[in-house]
Amino acid sequence: MQHQFSPIRAAIDIGSNTIRLVVARSASSDLDIVVSKEELVRIGESVTATGAISQEKAEAAIALLNQYKALADKHSADPIFVVATEAIRQASNSAAFLERVQRETGLTVQLISGTAEAALTFYGATYEVTREPNPPAEIGVMDLGGGSLELVTAKHMQITWRTSIPIGSGWLHDRYLPSNPPTYDEVAVAEAFLQTYFQGMRLKQHPPVLIVTGGSATSLLDLVHCAFKLEEHRNQLTQQDLIRCEGLLSSLPAEEIAQRYNQPPGRARILLAGALIIRAAMSRLHMNEIHISPHGIREGVLLAFERYGDHWLEIVSQSGAALNHVQQSEAPLVLPPEEEPFVQTGRRLLLERAKKMLELPQEVLKHEDVEAVHRMRVAIRRLRATLDAYESCCDPSRFKKVYRQIKKAADTLGAARDTDVMLLNLRAQLEHMNDEEQAGVQWIIKRLETFREQKQQGLESFLQTLDEDTLRKQIASLIPEGVVSHGKSQTDYRA
Amino acid sequence: MAKARPITGLDPQAATGKNARIIARIRLEELFSWESYVDNPYHIQELHNLGIASKRLRYTFEVFENVLPVASKDIVKELVQIQDELGVFHDTDVMIASLRLCLGGQDSASVFDSMQSDTSEQHRKGKSLVPPELVADLLDPAVAPSTEERYGLEKYLQMQEQLREKQYSAFRQHWYSLLARDFRREILELLEG
Repeated sequence: MQHQFSPIRAAIDIGSNTIRLVVARSASSDLDIVVSKEELVRIGESVTATGAISQEKAEAAIALLNQYKALADKHSADPIFVVATEAIRQASNSAAFLERVQRETGLTVQLISGTAEAALTFYGATYEVTREPNPPAEIGVMDLGGGSLELVTAKHMQITWRTSIPIGSGWLHDRYLPSNPPTYDEVAVAEAFLQTYFQGMRLKQHPPVLIVTGGSATSLLDLVHCAFKLEEHRNQLTQQDLIRCEGLLSSLPAEEIAQRYNQPPGRARILLAGALIIRAAMSRLHMNEIHISPHGIREGVLLAFERYGDHWLEIVSQSGAALNHVQQSEAPLVLPPEEEPFVQTGRRLLLERAKKMLELPQEVLKHEDVEAVHRMRVAIRRLRATLDAYESCCDPSRFKKVYRQIKKAADTLGAARDTDVMLLNLRAQLEHMNDEEQAGVQWIIKRLETFREQKQQGLESFLQTLDEDTLRKQIASLIPEGVVSHGKSQTDYRA
Repeated sequence: MAKARPITGLDPQAATGKNARIIARIRLEELFSWESYVDNPYHIQELHNLGIASKRLRYTFEVFENVLPVASKDIVKELVQIQDELGVFHDTDVMIASLRLCLGGQDSASVFDSMQSDTSEQHRKGKSLVPPELVADLLDPAVAPSTEERYGLEKYLQMQEQLREKQYSAFRQHWYSLLARDFRREILELLEG
């Protein structure tokens, strides 16, 4: 490509986490990047919390857009394209925000659809691969953003299938990983959620090569280079690399990660969420290795403009034409959690809660940590609350059978735990008492210890006879297919 | 413990978000159905039921956290606090009942027998705070407390009664602060959003 004769263009992408700028000499199949910048603003954080873009986030975004515009103008970039994606699509005040951006920066923002987003990301993430002597015949591109994940597959660089999942690194962090660093339990729950979510995803193809793009992916590659000394030229990450990242990110606070490994602090906070999502997707796609691309939607915008001219967005948005006869799915393949049918969520939740509970009996049986009983009791309460919520969807006789067992487990653990609490309180108060008071309290402690021993025996015999596999199967069969009410399907009613 | 209110009006094939809100509203009504007992610290069972109802609403928010607004987390914090306040209050009630049993039931075997059978019947009906097997252990004449131990138990009972007053007043103060900010309306508005 004769770069020196190519026009200079700029593209800005307002994402849920990041706002990025690229200034490049552009041609229809190649780019010579002059400037590439990104800043974490996390507009999606306020959208997840309140449904709207907050005043603070709007101001931060506008200040950054003014800086980017000045930088693009300095390089005489023309035109300057600005596109906005998931967080802005979701925000209740998106129109007011876009109007304000126009007024205060002079930039016109195009709010693009998920289809256009997927196509543009694909163009951006793959344009370097297409220049290779033997590009792969089949390829997948995954764009992990703050608020969503886009997955595209292609054959001979023609998109064949795509899907959009409303799970992004910022979203997962805000919902599941609030502690800094996230706790073991938070990570376990997030993993369980991702595992069940991805399992429910219908895949039309398993691409042999997957390119992953987005801020979390490129930051994870940087982290692996910096922390684990990956060879300089490598841009691949394996499942093992991601597991090592997860270990690091869940053991150090974000500030320390940022300082030690040269990551922006805001990015360091959400990086574990990104690693978990990428690894869950890799497992679902049966992949051990992915390629990371620093390019994405903004580069795709420049390429699309060079290919299709002024009507680039219309063409890209018109699925059939722009996506080269893509096999679009007739219905969304994965629904956002709030839109998922109640019974489908119920089957998943009941299994998750049962799994959590059935992980604990061995710990209780060891009789080493009084908190084990408490943890199992809490797990049972959560399972019971889920059962209460879903009773009307369950087969009544199966429900009764399961509920009886869960209630018995709750009662058995409850009696032991209540005594533990009494003993803990009594022992804690003992040291603040005089001799006479201590004599009385010591007496009742002895009585309670005897009682607790009896309860332990009851607890052990109950847990030893608990048939975990059968219980799991019974729980899995509680909500029948096509249920309308009380475990009955529409067919049952007609019968 | 009062049974959980059955959940009605759900559409199993409708979106989880919609159904989760229906469940949360029912659990909220269940919580406020015990409100009239807040001013009487001797409605032990009803206050315990209020604690259980706050726990049920809390778990509903937790089970469906994925489909309810993130701001639900602030509601959950308040519910956990109510649950904790009423939880320790109930623990103290159990301890007081146990101590009273020990101090009042050690005098003769006949008292032991009658208290044991009364407690067993009451526990079955959900009225007794102390499980019958524990009553049997506490009232066993073979291990009756000595005079010195009885004195210690009396002193400890007094301490527990004072503690109970403090715990009740902390809970009541918290409850009224929630009423002042119209906590119920706050939850309903959150569920409508």
